[in-house]
Amino acid sequence: MIAWLQSTLNMKVVTGVIGNDIHVVANRLMDLSLNARGYEVFNLGVNTYLEEFFDAAVETGAEILLISSLNGEAEGWAREVKQLRAKYKSLDQLIMMIGGNLTVGSGNAKDIVPRYKNYGFDLVCHQVDLNTGLDMLEDYIKEYVPPQENPSS
Amino acid sequence: MSQLQEEREIILGNENVDSFDFDEVREFVKGADENLFISHHFAKKEKMLVQPRGGFPTYEKQFALYEFFVDANVDVLPLTIDSNTRLNDYTTAKKMLRLSEANEVDMLNGYPLVNHGYRNTRKMMTHFNHPVSLRHGTPDARLLIEIAIASGIFEIEGGPITYLLPYSKNFPLDKAFLYWKYVERVCADYSTLNRPINRESFGPLTATLVPPSITIVIQLLEMLLSLEEGVKSFSVSFSQQGSMVQDIVTGTVTRKLADHYAAQIGCEDAIINLVYHQWMGAFPTNRDSADQLINMSTVIASMVGADKIITKTREEAVGIPTKEANAKTVANTQYTLRILSGLPAIVDEQEEEILTAEVHAIMEAVFNDPADTLWRKVFNSIKNGIIDVPFSPHIINHNKMITIRDAQKNIRIIERGNVPIPDRCYAYEKSCCDLNKDTTSIVNDIIRDIGIMQ
Repeated sequence: MIAWLQSTLNMKVVTGVIGNDIHVVANRLMDLSLNARGYEVFNLGVNTYLEEFFDAAVETGAEILLISSLNGEAEGWAREVKQLRAKYKSLDQLIMMIGGNLTVGSGNAKDIVPRYKNYGFDLVCHQVDLNTGLDMLEDYIKEYVPPQENPSS
Repeated sequence: MSQLQEEREIILGNENVDSFDFDEVREFVKGADENLFISHHFAKKEKMLVQPRGGFPTYEKQFALYEFFVDANVDVLPLTIDSNTRLNDYTTAKKMLRLSEANEVDMLNGYPLVNHGYRNTRKMMTHFNHPVSLRHGTPDARLLIEIAIASGIFEIEGGPITYLLPYSKNFPLDKAFLYWKYVERVCADYSTLNRPINRESFGPLTATLVPPSITIVIQLLEMLLSLEEGVKSFSVSFSQQGSMVQDIVTGTVTRKLADHYAAQIGCEDAIINLVYHQWMGAFPTNRDSADQLINMSTVIASMVGADKIITKTREEAVGIPTKEANAKTVANTQYTLRILSGLPAIVDEQEEEILTAEVHAIMEAVFNDPADTLWRKVFNSIKNGIIDVPFSPHIINHNKMITIRDAQKNIRIIERGNVPIPDRCYAYEKSCCDLNKDTTSIVNDIIRDIGIMQ
C-alpha cells in the first residue's frame, strides 16, 4: 500500500553523533554503509544536539532518524526525546533508532534496550556491530505499520 | 610599536595573566641554558631523542612526573595541556585546578599552564634543565605559547590544520590560520635571541587510515607557513601507519620534499627534523601486546631514521597512563634504541616515485589556487577538497576520499574525491587492492583495517 515501505531505496535517513561527542569514525562508516544500502543520507556529523536532529528530519522529510553515541552521553539526552518530539507537528511517522555505546561505564543490553524504548526509540542497538544494526533496521522497515495519521492534520 | 607587539600586549592583558613583563622574558630567553632548547639537542645529533606524553593538573604532580621521566633517562619532557585551556576557557581551568589541589582527585586532563603562570612554571623547567615540548591541540594558542616560552618551553607543537581538522567540528579554519600566524611570528622573534625555538607539526592527524600523500602535503604546508614567518627550526612528523615499508618510504619522501620546498621559498638555512609517533590508532587492551607494539614502533623509527620518537604506554587503551607506566616506556624505548644496530637500509624506488608524484601534484594544485597568500591558498584547497583528511570531524573537510589497506597493510586510496592524485598513481593504488566486492564487504574491511593492531 505504501510504496516506500517495501524497499529502503530512496528512503531518507538523518544521522549523526549526539551531544558533545567528537568520535567520528563509526559515523563516517555508517554514512558509507547507508549509502551503499540505497538510503539517501543526511549526515549531521559529530557534536549534534537533539533539536538539530529533529529540525533536520523536518527539513529533509526523512523517514528515519538514526542517532549514535560513543561516549555514552546519549542517556542524558534521550530523556528529553518524547517531550521535544511532541513539539514537532510532522514527526509522527518518523522511525527512531539509536546505537553505539549507550551508557557511561558498563551496562548490559538487557537493561539498556527497554530503557531507551521507554524514551521513545523504536530500535535500540547497544554495542551491536554496524551491519547487524542496519540489517535490524531493514527488517523493522519491512514489518513497519505507520501510526494512523491524525485526521485533523 | 609594531603591530605584532600591540597585539601581544592585548593578548597578555588577559585577566588570567599576572603582569607579563616583556623585557624580563626577553632577558630570560637570551640567557637561557642551551639544554632547554631542543634545537640544540637536534644539532648535536647524538641519538634519536625520546619523548613521552604527559600532563597533570597540579604543579606537584607534574614535578613528580618529571622526576620519574628523568630517572628513566628521558631526552625531551612533555607538557600536555588540559582541555579547558585548549578551548581558551581559563576560568573553568582555574576552578578545576583549585579542586584538584584541594582533593586527591585530578579534575583536569593536563597542566593548565596559563593559570599556573610563567613565574612558577619556569622554576620547574629550569630545575630539570631538559628541553620541554608543549603538547596541546589549541586552535587559538596565542596566549598559551607566550606563557610557554616565558616558562622556558622552547618547542611548540601544532598548526592551523593539524590541530583543527582532527579535533574540531566547526571552529573557523580561516581564524585558525591567522591565530597560528601570530604563533609563528612570536617564535621567530624569540629565535633571534638564543638557539631557535622549534616548531613541530602534528602529522598523525586523525590516525585513521590517512594516506601518506595527505600527511606529507599537510606537513609541508604547515612547514612553509611557519618558515615564511621566520621560524628557523621545524619538525615534520608522522605516525606509524601499519606497514613497515610504507613508513620507511614516507620518511624518505618527507625529508626529501621538505628540503625541496623549503629551498623553493629561500629557506635552505632552516633546520628540518623528522619526528615519528609510535602507533596512534586503536591500541590493544592487553598490556603485554601493547608493549610489543611499542617496541616494534621503536624499531621502525630507527629504520625511518627519525630524529625524535614520541612514545605511547601499555595503558593506552585503558585511560590516562600512570607516571610509572609512562616512565617504563621511556626506559624500554631507550633500551631498544641502545641495542639496535646494523639495520639494513631499505629502499623501494617504485613506492617512492609514486608517493613523490602524488605529493607534487597536490602541492601544485594548492599553489595554483588564485588567492595571493599561502594561508588562503591552503584554506581554499581544504574547502574545495584538494586536501581531504579521512575521518576528520570538521564540517569544512570533504570526506570524499576513501582509503583501505592492501595485503601488505599499506594504506591505499580507492576513492580520491577531489584530491588531484595523478591518474597513473590512482590506478596503481587501486590495483594493489581487491575491489571486486560489494560496499558492505569493503566497509567491513575498513573496520578491520582501522583495528589492525588490536
